[in-house]
Amino acid sequence: MIRTKKIESKPLNFFEKIYIIEVIRGFSVTLKHFFINLFFPSKIPTISYPEEKVLLPGNAKLKSRHRIKLRSDGTPKCVACMMCSTICPADCIHIEAAETETPVEKYPKVFNIDISKCVMCGLCVEACPEDAISMDTNEIAGGAYSRFSNFQKDGLFLTKNELFIKLKDEKISKLGAANRLENEYGERND
Amino acid sequence: MEEFIKILSPEYINLTLSNILLNHKNDIYLIIETVLKIAAFYGGIMSLAGLLTIGERKISALMQDRIGPNRANIFKFTLWGLFHPMADGIKMIMKEDFIPKNASKILFTIAPVISMVPVLVVFAFIPFGNYLDLGFYKINFIILDSDLSFFLLIAISSLAIYGTFLGGFSSGNNWGILGAIRAQAQMISYEVVVVLSVLPVIMIYSASSLSDLTLKQSGTILGIIPNWGIFVQPVSFLIFFTAALAENKRTPFDVVEGESEIIGYFIEHGSMRFAAFMFAEYVEIILFSMLASIFFFGGWQVPYLNDQGFNLGSFFIPINHYLIVLMQLASFALKTVFFSVLVIMIRWTLPRFRFDQIMRLCWANLLPISVLNLLLTALIIRGIK
Repeated sequence: MIRTKKIESKPLNFFEKIYIIEVIRGFSVTLKHFFINLFFPSKIPTISYPEEKVLLPGNAKLKSRHRIKLRSDGTPKCVACMMCSTICPADCIHIEAAETETPVEKYPKVFNIDISKCVMCGLCVEACPEDAISMDTNEIAGGAYSRFSNFQKDGLFLTKNELFIKLKDEKISKLGAANRLENEYGERND
Repeated sequence: MEEFIKILSPEYINLTLSNILLNHKNDIYLIIETVLKIAAFYGGIMSLAGLLTIGERKISALMQDRIGPNRANIFKFTLWGLFHPMADGIKMIMKEDFIPKNASKILFTIAPVISMVPVLVVFAFIPFGNYLDLGFYKINFIILDSDLSFFLLIAISSLAIYGTFLGGFSSGNNWGILGAIRAQAQMISYEVVVVLSVLPVIMIYSASSLSDLTLKQSGTILGIIPNWGIFVQPVSFLIFFTAALAENKRTPFDVVEGESEIIGYFIEHGSMRFAAFMFAEYVEIILFSMLASIFFFGGWQVPYLNDQGFNLGSFFIPINHYLIVLMQLASFALKTVFFSVLVIMIRWTLPRFRFDQIMRLCWANLLPISVLNLLLTALIIRGIK
């Protein structure tokens, strides 16, 4: 059986049928927007990314572009355990490990993230045993002119220079096993 | 032999040349004047059409709370997006010049030209100013003044449909043919209404040339209102505006193009062929704006301004002749730009009509009203006489 739904449409009154008055009403709406935007361009909600960047509201900034946290001595907290690059569903993290002289023994010689592949799922942050990788830089990745040029040059390719950064007024965290080891040895050395 | 040497001698040539110059002084002045007028007027129209392409995108952006195109730059210098028409032109030239297999090659090639030429020719009849008196010479600001210019204008501008129709018909594409058929039906129907809506104005001012029509719109009615077509024939103006908009195939009446359903008559036309169709559309907007201002807003007339100066009742300020000419040219340019912007704004404000609604609006509403208006005007003019 076919079920039908009857939609009652209101019959047009005389002024609506003439259409001229409705045209003027329509114009009053579009002209209002036109003149407000013409004389106050700052009211246009568009952001000219990448020239112009805005702070993300609330917890949205916990899903912004990646960074690797630093220790108090400036070395990266990452120990090149490959957990993040293993769990990454988009396969966008590339790490090459190397040895250090410090008790931590391992550090990432190359750490690249291809943001054009990244799906912003945050699994790398969950997986990190050292609390090293995080997505709290408050920068939105995207709107770039070239995929493989550097992030600093409006590209989408992150290397160590952009990843290993310290945020403004950030407290150095001492979480993470290897980090605690490093801290303990560091304190003993001091 | 001696005769031949005599003819070749510099003195003889100089004498003949000066004779020619003296005898045909006025002809030479006319040629120089016409060439200058064509260069200035058509240059203005072309640059305005170019500006309208960026203007359309900017205005629509502002009406929809967007910024609009602003990225085309020369050495990082964007000039508020003014380089975008140039970028468009370069892009169009670089594109592949493609002719489909089923297309009729000759018609497919000449269709964009046919759609542009009639629209451009018509501008010759349009008075864009009164006259400039240089003392030794008087320049009329009209390229070709003819007593029949109104009828020539109607005749030539109605040829524009051939370009549209041939463009769709020759492409060998079914959507193109559908667009061409719609264009034929719509443009021919609305042409009748355009002519009928303008006739009352022509009758009231009893002028068949556009320059004469503009001249007769000087002065005032009842001492205050300017003697313009809009105040004499307001109904005519509304009908003319609607019908001319429909004949331009602009958005409330754009089933011919139908961007979301059929691409329309230029579906197979790419690169500069498409650009020619688009450019013809923007030039048509300018033509429509100029005609609206000439028929209903006094053309180059400035309210209360006559040949000597500003005049309102017993109030009179004499103004320099050159300043008056400048004011009249500016008045015409301003009216043209105003109507062009209004047409663009209408596109971004009103929803589209269905095809049956378009045809019903023409034959069932606008045509009877314009015929009634014509009869009423004729009766009133007869009664007064």
